[in-house]
Amino acid sequence: MCKPLQVKVFRFNPESDVAPKFDDFEVPVFDNMAVLDVVIHIQNYLDRSLSFRFSCRIGMCGSCAMYVNGRARLACRTQVSSLKTRDITIMPLPNFPIIRDLVVDMEPFFDKWKKIKPYYVPKRELDEPVTVQPNSNEREFIDDMLDCISCGCCYSACSMVATNKDYLGPAALNRAYTLIADKRDAIRVERLKVVDRSYGVWRCHTQFNCAEVCPKNIVPTRSIQNLKRRCVLKKFGIFK
Amino acid sequence: MHAWTWVLQRISAVILIIAVGLHIGFLHFSNAGEALNYGEIVARLKTPVLIVFDILLLIFGLYHALYGLYSVFLDFDSGKKERVVVLGLLVCVGLGIVGFGIFGLLCTARSL
Repeated sequence: MCKPLQVKVFRFNPESDVAPKFDDFEVPVFDNMAVLDVVIHIQNYLDRSLSFRFSCRIGMCGSCAMYVNGRARLACRTQVSSLKTRDITIMPLPNFPIIRDLVVDMEPFFDKWKKIKPYYVPKRELDEPVTVQPNSNEREFIDDMLDCISCGCCYSACSMVATNKDYLGPAALNRAYTLIADKRDAIRVERLKVVDRSYGVWRCHTQFNCAEVCPKNIVPTRSIQNLKRRCVLKKFGIFK
Repeated sequence: MHAWTWVLQRISAVILIIAVGLHIGFLHFSNAGEALNYGEIVARLKTPVLIVFDILLLIFGLYHALYGLYSVFLDFDSGKKERVVVLGLLVCVGLGIVGFGIFGLLCTARSL
């Protein structure tokens, strides 16, 4: 039988605790065990007060993002065996306020998401549908970027978010790019104005921390660089 | 504003890579093995092409460095007042050093 996992879990209840602490648990291993199974085991059998968030279990909803062994990951998509160690440390995502234990407050993240108007606005004057060639490079690129599940991993890994609370962050900027690059969108210029600010694209220093942790293998840095290029084209009057 | 300064930062980076390479190559490797005396160095600095080259190197090098510093400052939360003060300070430092550098180069060129 495999040796059990030695799991350290971050614990903090802002309403009752003075300071955060770590609790140690011993968790039995089974085949294909994910980190989400670890925390579910702890909650079911070892400590019912442990708080964490999850929903779909298949890497689709983005709600179980946690900081596992020094890296933001989706707990449901992270196999224990992939960590290559029996010692696991689980913490809440950095750069977010903590609600309790592993549950973080996503409000600052979605407030920034709202700033870029994350929804498609159709052009009213068009009578016929715009044809977007499926084999165009731009189209393919947007398709890749649309895989974002807004889990917050990139936001938690971004050092610019850590130092500047106003910075929009990789996820919101990536979403903005998918809409700005879509020629059918009616408010592309307005959106570009929102990201063309000090706290917008210009705070990104292309460190690729966001791309490193994205569970969907999106490269938000690439979107942000494309947005910078479009901001420059706008200044030259080329971007329409 | 950010778009222009960002583009200029990129342009200055490319210019610096080329200019610093030329600067090091010309000053340190073109006379390998020969020890120049003070007079020869001053004579070389009198070359108009070299004066213009050094002035451009100074301007682009300083712009790149000071904009980089300002960018690091912006990475941290700061109020509008602080931003204006820091920007003003960096512009003054930049203009001061560029002015002093150009003055020094021209004085050296005139000294012979």
